[in-house]
Amino acid sequence: MSMLISTPISELRSCSEPNFPEREINLHEHDAIIVGGGLAGLRAAVELGRSDINTAVVSKVLPLRSHSVAAQGGINASLGNVFGNNGKTDSWKSHAFDMIKGSDYLADQNAVELMCREAPNAVIELEHMGTVFSRLQNGKIAQRPFGGAMFPRTCYVADRTGHNLLNTLFEQTLKLGIKIYSEYFVTSLVKDGDRCIGCTAIELQTGEIHGFVSKAVLLSTGGFGRLFSRSTNSLINTGDGASLAVRVGVPLKDMEFIQFHPTTLYGTNILITEGARGEGGKLINSIGEQFMQKYAPNSVDLAPRDVVARSIEEEISAGRGFPGGYVHLDLTHLGEDKIKERLPGIRQIAMDFANVDPVKEPIPVQPGQHYSMGGVDADIGCRTVLKGLYAAGECSCISVHGANRLGGNSILETVVFGKIASKSILEDILTFPEPDRKKIEECIMNEEGRIFSILCKEEGENFFYVLEDLKKTMFDHFGVFREGNMMEKGLKKLNELKKRFLNAHFNNKSRVFNQTLIRYLELENMLILAEATALGAIKRKESRGSHTRLDYPERDDANFLKHTIARLVKGKFLIEYSPVILGLFEPREREY
Amino acid sequence: MILKIYRYDPEVGRKWYDSFEIKPTVGMTVLAALFEAQKMYDNSLSFRYSCRGAVCGTCAALINKVPRLPCRTQISKLLDGSLDIQLSPYPSYVEKNVEWNPEKEVLLEPLPHLPIIKDIVVDINPFLEFYKKIDPFLKVGKSEIKKQNRWEYRMDESEVLELERYTNCILCGSCFGACPVDAKNPGYFGPAALAKLYRFYIDPREKDKVSRLKLADLPDGWWACQFHANCMKVCPKGVPPNIAISKARRDLQELKEKEG
Repeated sequence: MSMLISTPISELRSCSEPNFPEREINLHEHDAIIVGGGLAGLRAAVELGRSDINTAVVSKVLPLRSHSVAAQGGINASLGNVFGNNGKTDSWKSHAFDMIKGSDYLADQNAVELMCREAPNAVIELEHMGTVFSRLQNGKIAQRPFGGAMFPRTCYVADRTGHNLLNTLFEQTLKLGIKIYSEYFVTSLVKDGDRCIGCTAIELQTGEIHGFVSKAVLLSTGGFGRLFSRSTNSLINTGDGASLAVRVGVPLKDMEFIQFHPTTLYGTNILITEGARGEGGKLINSIGEQFMQKYAPNSVDLAPRDVVARSIEEEISAGRGFPGGYVHLDLTHLGEDKIKERLPGIRQIAMDFANVDPVKEPIPVQPGQHYSMGGVDADIGCRTVLKGLYAAGECSCISVHGANRLGGNSILETVVFGKIASKSILEDILTFPEPDRKKIEECIMNEEGRIFSILCKEEGENFFYVLEDLKKTMFDHFGVFREGNMMEKGLKKLNELKKRFLNAHFNNKSRVFNQTLIRYLELENMLILAEATALGAIKRKESRGSHTRLDYPERDDANFLKHTIARLVKGKFLIEYSPVILGLFEPREREY
Repeated sequence: MILKIYRYDPEVGRKWYDSFEIKPTVGMTVLAALFEAQKMYDNSLSFRYSCRGAVCGTCAALINKVPRLPCRTQISKLLDGSLDIQLSPYPSYVEKNVEWNPEKEVLLEPLPHLPIIKDIVVDINPFLEFYKKIDPFLKVGKSEIKKQNRWEYRMDESEVLELERYTNCILCGSCFGACPVDAKNPGYFGPAALAKLYRFYIDPREKDKVSRLKLADLPDGWWACQFHANCMKVCPKGVPPNIAISKARRDLQELKEKEG
């Protein structure tokens, strides 16, 4: 391979040249800053905006481009619009039971109760704001069956639920006139004593550092799925919020619990919704068996994700997969009309990215990273241990999903806890004194210096290779099946990667839309989160939910019915544990 | 395969085209090729991305003179001509008379008639301004809200299906880039904004439908469209703004006849 014609000016430029003229300090003051413009962030913004709080959203992409847009199958709420197989009506308590069992009893049951009680109202609110949900014949919101649920509980908009909800909430922020800083990448949280008083960010279009002064900062930056080579996540899901938090001493919780979705498109790992199985899709191995009948005789293809993902991997390693490592998801028996009406997006994805029309042939699927159950340790009011800092949505761990999330609960969590976070902020900021803007100004100068020194690195390894190796290491050593020695080797590789990163560099010295710089900073964030994930996984010597250890195949409630807490102390992770809140249902064995 | 890319460096005001040789893998998309070029050859290359699955609308650019999503567009399909479509002529260029061999090269340029920030990254705010101009949010009467405070508004499946044709819009800007009217008339609302306006007009929950229709009853609104239908042809989500516009015009005319 060779480059034919190219003399990029930026490579000829050096940092010592006076490229960066003196600028005025960019300082913005708001009552509340929301970092991340996905569903959690925008739901919070809408609530704060309605309360006339001066709110701004700071997002590294236009909010409509957030990963929430990719949520397909739906949002759970016990509306009871469709009866269960037993003829009974759904309730918040059934929803809570399914979640707690699904979580392998690691979820905090008070948080689950709160979310399940709020769910119906949260969905109705979105409908009133303008979301066009799919309907039943009687005109009520339609609900479909999803994995691990006893009732058809998942409200949906065909297979584009996230897209529709995100548009609705974005529309509401425009109605309320909420300030949105699009394409601003947050580089640090600013602490003053025992509280958080704002953040700094790079404006992509100019490369300038901005300071944001605020009594409250809400992190709603999504998950860190891009740590793994095979992931359904958007390319922007690099866990920036969790990394920002841990760098100012806020602990992370349950980072080892990584959800692998059973059905991601072979090749690109784009999500194929669980709704496809909810509508009747079947998983078939290379000898034509509907193999889930063996692993989950009652739920079959609608067992929870951890169970189905493991089963597929077992089929593949037993030689009953297809060459390359995948199985088939067969929808052909559903018929063209149903596929076109209920799963139009899935059909398009299969045709665009795998050249397969699901009406005519099965879709090749394999498990891939999908969701981060762990995240910033936050309480039931989305408060972190740092005053003025809050977290909601996938970047947080409250914990409602425990060791395994059920489908349809992620976007529910975003809207329920986005709203709850805003209520906490409204309550708290009344008692917070005005932040000291000088501290933010100091931090702007520090960040200017830090970014400048990164851009000044003239030589070293191409950091894109460090990124690639990180993803591969995480998938190979901390994937669906884990084992002590294998993980220790993985941890060693992570330490080497950290060293390589220190010596890595890039040539792009431009200040305008320097995506390479952003990706370098993202990698810095990802390396921190990788270590927390690895340590949590190594120290949890049991199998629970998504965390499956070949050397410790059983769940061990006596020693590990507890949350992992990872705290960064003087550059090193300290692993501690905190109790799980029970109260509704006692832990039992999970059977499906 | 050669990826031929428009480059623009705003810091020195230089414009040029770069050609990168990329070894295509099976199913490789244009976006994947862009990442390859950035990693292997030149990390000063700028382009937008997010979902890589054709749902977020971030990456839209001009590929072989047609607005498309690089994340959804496979290189092999470009080279074998299976993606070729017939469009009404529109100024599909940033620079005139760029030569490229469609059998061996993929030409990548920024979306037309939007200010260029760097390389193929454009400022999409002029496009979004039209979207904002049509009040893109549901307006429900206060009494309505009270009535169904606790429950959803009942909606027919047929109403939902008609709405879905327009709510599917991902605001990528492809239609705006391909529209011959937009190219000539910077005041034109454009296909995406009008389709969005129509979406609210036909929503059964909307309190004042007439004012929705009248909002674009302007020479630059519903009436500027010339029905080239490029918008529908390039839409990665199959949204038909031209059909929305013609239905809105019809309803508006009926309304005017009634009002006398």
